[in-house]
Amino acid sequence: MLTGTWQPVRINSLLPDSHFASSVYLRPSLFQIASPLHSTSVPPSSRSPRLNWSEQIDTGSSVVNLLSISKDSTMANTIRLYLTCIRNTLEAAMCLQNFPCQEVERHNKPEVELNTSPELIMNPDLICRNEAEKCLIETPINSIRISMKVKQADELENILAKKFLRFLSMRAEAFQVLRRKPVQGYDISFLITNYHCEEMHKHKLIDFIVQFMEDIDKEISELKLSVNTRGRLVATEFLKQFI
Amino acid sequence: MILLQSPSRFLLQILHDRLLSQDKGVDIDCQTVEFDDVRYHIQVSMRNPKVLVLSVALPLPPEEAASFDGLPFGAIEAIKAAYGPVVQILDPPKDGFDLTLKINLAKLPSDEEQKNAILLQIASIREVVLGAPLKILLKNLSMKTVGPEAGQPVALVHRPNESFFVVPQADKATVVYPMRFLDSIDIVLATSFLQEFVEARRTAALNNAPACMWSQSPPPELKGAPESALTANAGFVTFVVNPRHVEGKKLDRTVWNLLTFHAYVSYHVKCSEGFMHTRMRRRVDTLIQALDRAKSDAEKLKKMVTGPSFKKWFVI
Repeated sequence: MLTGTWQPVRINSLLPDSHFASSVYLRPSLFQIASPLHSTSVPPSSRSPRLNWSEQIDTGSSVVNLLSISKDSTMANTIRLYLTCIRNTLEAAMCLQNFPCQEVERHNKPEVELNTSPELIMNPDLICRNEAEKCLIETPINSIRISMKVKQADELENILAKKFLRFLSMRAEAFQVLRRKPVQGYDISFLITNYHCEEMHKHKLIDFIVQFMEDIDKEISELKLSVNTRGRLVATEFLKQFI
Repeated sequence: MILLQSPSRFLLQILHDRLLSQDKGVDIDCQTVEFDDVRYHIQVSMRNPKVLVLSVALPLPPEEAASFDGLPFGAIEAIKAAYGPVVQILDPPKDGFDLTLKINLAKLPSDEEQKNAILLQIASIREVVLGAPLKILLKNLSMKTVGPEAGQPVALVHRPNESFFVVPQADKATVVYPMRFLDSIDIVLATSFLQEFVEARRTAALNNAPACMWSQSPPPELKGAPESALTANAGFVTFVVNPRHVEGKKLDRTVWNLLTFHAYVSYHVKCSEGFMHTRMRRRVDTLIQALDRAKSDAEKLKKMVTGPSFKKWFVI
């Protein structure tokens, strides 16, 4: 049963032998559940006709469904809750330890990139804000790969996002935790290994990633605004010449 | 500098310098390129210090533009009218150029203001030559007469291998630009800029400006135009010019603005991209600072110790 505004729901099963199998992990305070939710279905609420359910994305991995509400209400809140959900997932997921490669002697590789041994790779988490924005978190034993898809409403936002994210990916060397190429189907990807966790404080690293996501959104909307403002100014100056 | 200026700064600088240093013996031989493939070559030799030879190369006209023998329609008359005895056209023009002029500094008027005005006019040679056919059409408009091409689109050159169209009528002239850009990002940015033009025209303050429309497909005014001219990846912009926009002193400014419209939009698209790059670089710096905060103090100390400040730290 849902009361008040919508809340993100996250089903957490990071380890393959389900240490936290199918337990509901809920943060926000307004949300109340009568019975534990299973990972497959949540009954739609009949009391709030404005709520519409996003479809379950993938049955293979554990999935998060975000209830999306109509645009005229609290759009600003959705980003806060989306980011909080991601932050909590990362806090739970970022327990990395050193793990030498099983296949090749004396090699140490991030297992998420190899994808060879199923016992090392946990179920990936997919957090969706709406159909356009989502975040995939994959956590094997010694690395985390976080892939994001950024909202692109129209043609202009499309090219601005592409330009900006390519700009960032080219400078992946400076960022250390950024991946040069995004995962297929996403716009940008991070790769964090156990070495990074040893060098840097875990909570600060998570702060950085969440701030990164916020900054991307902000930057793209500011770029779009600057283009529109400049266009207006240019047009006004030109037309003033004729008066 | 938001608007493109009509007199070329390069030419103006050279002319002024030449005037100031008339007695000093310096040979000048300079070439330069301006936007849209316009080249200048200016020469002064010490044998005739009062004579400047200026050669101008114009953008290559496409097939449908009014055919002329190297110069736009009406250019020669426009030059004679604008400069009088100071400038003499040399025929044939120098190799690789479309027009060569001999400028006689001795024939400049002695009055300081008039002298500067003529120098400014000489530096605006591009407007005089390229804008000659447009000026004739618009002058007809201001006098409310029509030439033989009333109602038919007239193709005029403004970029290499591209033209824009003017449809002259008795009470108005419709100017249509097919906007083409090479880069895909340019196309999207230009489209949003051009739509702003339409929006800006709607505001009350600009009611007297020419009516402005944008459409993705060729507008009906271009019915008589050849097929190759009708492909434009950033749409078609239409301006409707009334007689009051071209009366008296406004004629020159209107001609220049209409002639360089595409260059103006293209210039601002590039400025916009440059600005975006600066912003993105600044944002990258902020993010890297945030990442540095995440580094543990042990790491930072290690980095400090290996640097040149090792001795300082060690003393403490």
